[in-house]
Amino acid sequence: MNTLNSVGHPSHRIDALQRVTGRATYTGDIRLPEMLYARVLRSPHPHARIRSVDVSRAQALPGVKAILTRENCDVIWGSGDTRNQRYLFNNPVRFAGDAVAAVAAVDRHVAEEAMRMIQVDYETLPFVLDPEEALKPGAVEIQPGGNLSPNNRNERQPEVYRRGSVDDGFRAADRVFEDHYTSSHINNAQLEPRVAIAQWEGDHLTVYTPTQGISNCHTEMARDLKIAPEKVRIICHFMGGGFGNKNQNHDFELMAAMLAKQSGAPVKLEFTRKEDFVSVHGRWPTKQYYKIGVRNDGTLTAIQLRGYSGMGPHRKSSGGIGGIEIYQCPHVERSVYPVYTNMAVSANLRAPDYPQGVFGLESLMDDIAYALQMDPLDFRLKNMTRKFNDQTPYTSIGLEDCLRRGAEAFEWKKRFHAPGEGTGPIKRGAGMAMGSFFSNMGRSSAVIDVDSRGMYHVHVGVTDVGTAAKTTMALIAAEELGVPLEKIDVIWGDTDRCPYSVGESGSRTTTHTGHAVVEAAKDLKRQIAAKGMPQGNDILTATANTNPTPPANAARYSFVAHFAEVEVEKETGHVRVIKYVAAHDSGRVVNPLTATSQVKGGATMGIGMALHEELLYDRASGKPLNAGYYGARVMTHLDAPEIEVHWIETEDPYGPFGAKTLGEPTIIPSVAAVANAIYNAIGKRVRDLPMTRDRILGVLA
Amino acid sequence: MSRISRRRFVEGTGAGLVAATAVPLKGQEQRPAPPTPPVPHTAIQVTVNGTRHKIEVEDRWTLVELLRDHLGLTGSKIGCDRGECGACTVLLDGKPVYSCSQLAVWADGRSVQTVEGLARDGELDPLQQAFIEHDGPQCGFCTSGQLMSAKALLNHNAHPTRDEVQHAMTGNICRCSNYNRYVESVLAAAGTLSASAGRKA
Repeated sequence: MNTLNSVGHPSHRIDALQRVTGRATYTGDIRLPEMLYARVLRSPHPHARIRSVDVSRAQALPGVKAILTRENCDVIWGSGDTRNQRYLFNNPVRFAGDAVAAVAAVDRHVAEEAMRMIQVDYETLPFVLDPEEALKPGAVEIQPGGNLSPNNRNERQPEVYRRGSVDDGFRAADRVFEDHYTSSHINNAQLEPRVAIAQWEGDHLTVYTPTQGISNCHTEMARDLKIAPEKVRIICHFMGGGFGNKNQNHDFELMAAMLAKQSGAPVKLEFTRKEDFVSVHGRWPTKQYYKIGVRNDGTLTAIQLRGYSGMGPHRKSSGGIGGIEIYQCPHVERSVYPVYTNMAVSANLRAPDYPQGVFGLESLMDDIAYALQMDPLDFRLKNMTRKFNDQTPYTSIGLEDCLRRGAEAFEWKKRFHAPGEGTGPIKRGAGMAMGSFFSNMGRSSAVIDVDSRGMYHVHVGVTDVGTAAKTTMALIAAEELGVPLEKIDVIWGDTDRCPYSVGESGSRTTTHTGHAVVEAAKDLKRQIAAKGMPQGNDILTATANTNPTPPANAARYSFVAHFAEVEVEKETGHVRVIKYVAAHDSGRVVNPLTATSQVKGGATMGIGMALHEELLYDRASGKPLNAGYYGARVMTHLDAPEIEVHWIETEDPYGPFGAKTLGEPTIIPSVAAVANAIYNAIGKRVRDLPMTRDRILGVLA
Repeated sequence: MSRISRRRFVEGTGAGLVAATAVPLKGQEQRPAPPTPPVPHTAIQVTVNGTRHKIEVEDRWTLVELLRDHLGLTGSKIGCDRGECGACTVLLDGKPVYSCSQLAVWADGRSVQTVEGLARDGELDPLQQAFIEHDGPQCGFCTSGQLMSAKALLNHNAHPTRDEVQHAMTGNICRCSNYNRYVESVLAAAGTLSASAGRKA
């Protein structure tokens, strides 16, 4: 791969100084004059009809300036549910945590006091938490028309993908394996809880909010409030993570806007950590039934999956169970049922469809390899995808190198052994898994201007969710313009100052917005060549509105293989990850420093998902039991092993300088790699996530 | 710096849109205001980053509330407000505390150091420099807390091992899970990175 001047060189974040001095301004740090504070009252019941809401005592409390309930606010949150009308305040309430009222007051203590004075008369209704139970006859109907969420054609059918005929595939098999797996609800748990500030100046609305996409937040706020887009401004200076749950617009932004409208003052609406856990969304819990046919030589003949995803009472996202496309196989059938339940809403969390699907799939593939007395690495090298869905060639594919070079760095042959081998109180084992992720290309815009001092101002509608997107854009601009990084100034996070950018979801910012930056830079270079550098107060400006597509007969994917070694204490069931290697093909790596950090983070999150993270529900009351960092057992410093990162830089003809997607692939195979390492250590399979000590002891008993 | 109008990039949806409305709830204004006892206040003296403040605080204010809302020091973040995440970590008389779990009145007569007090005379603390070079912050929301816990550690143990760093900072959650980088940064600042057993990617 050819060497470039800026892209490909480890560069610290251009905003790192602000981040380490406390000077980075997050939404919660902003105070506007006369600003009010708002709190949200939520249902304690998983399913209930509201007979009445009495706000009179709260309204009479000195300092209370506005109260919203369904009675005086009928705003529909369009992005909160793609199938049903979801109001800001719904009746019936359909999960413990559903919003009932919002209060704005002179300070947050008064707002909290007022909230406690609101009296709600609930008629509790039956509820259901498990997606399979919710589909049984007689289950309580959570949304009109039944609990199976309709597909895109508005049919009450599961989401189905099919190629070949699995019946033929199973007939052609020497052996058929079947097993089932479950995964649990996991909260995104980004460090920054939801907070928005809304301010009206006449009929113009400004919203400060930690969003993953100022552009989509902007158009959706205008849509839901029924005002013209040019009257809405979205500002996000720094934001404290989201992992998928701060994309699009959200109910808290709409509530802040409506409270500000009613009170005539700017309103800051803050969620508590518990609210952020139970009332926003997390990864959908799943039940997966896999059936796989294979010949004795290890060739796959059929893969069948029937899966159920618990979406909570609203359909915000796909509910998919992904991963099968990493295998070459002539006969595939995947049916996934996205089901309404009375749990917290489920939607996007880092690679939404994948880590749970790959956990089930790669667990069974591992069992098959062992049953055929094949090395799991060789089994994957034999059956890994060569063309997308066995049909479409990839623009570039480094999966085999990820497997081979990852295995070499991990010393796979040395660490891997027969399952359960060895004696003593601590068992050691090695496991691996692989994955892929769509490396999207598409619409974004960029504006670059240059002044007479030779400073280049890059305007991009990114917010930088922690991925170093601003730095990535600066590196791409510096590379294309042929100037040092210090000459680049990035203007971001404000819809009045930045053009459209794709939301920072789907790991698309580098490929979409980066491409627009390249094109704008090319245009600016042409202008400079024609007119010379601007003099005095002049500037030159270049714009690009790009929407590239890969060729119709090619698929663009990133690839990944992870390898884990664990120690399992037989007496306690405690698991410790002692070695971890991640090998990634994301095409050209724009910034090896920050990209490596992303891999370390994604893999570590996956280890948490594998071993202990879960939002637990009480089956008797339907209420979440352990909202919060300690309760839901999010990874800590002491849990985190060293993640060793290896780059397989394939040459890809598309994307800015050949960059492919990165953020989400980092978590895809990590859960399965740990699961397979545990199996290798103890010779027993744990089929339910998280693989907690009690579950380990359960299979050992 | 040029200003770019968003209008040039966003297709307007045109006129004819009706603004959403919010009206005060009707018929519920008659009830008398409940008696509200006055909120207790206390006058305290607290030294923050070397500056003495005499301030009247409400007894219910937490220390982080005092710092952020009343002294304008917003570097300390509120991630959970209940002593779980560590984003609000400050040094109280040199010891790391969760400032969300301390009342402001308890700081009376004591000394607080926040992230804003780490740099001296425009010179970054070696920890801050290392956090930049080793890419400590991803989203950055936990960073101030990570820095203050690390500072407390290095104050009494100038050359910690990797294990000691992990133990000292395990009360600071990073959901971006950039733990490797934070530990690497602290070891680098302490000059013990090369001596530590771990690998560097």
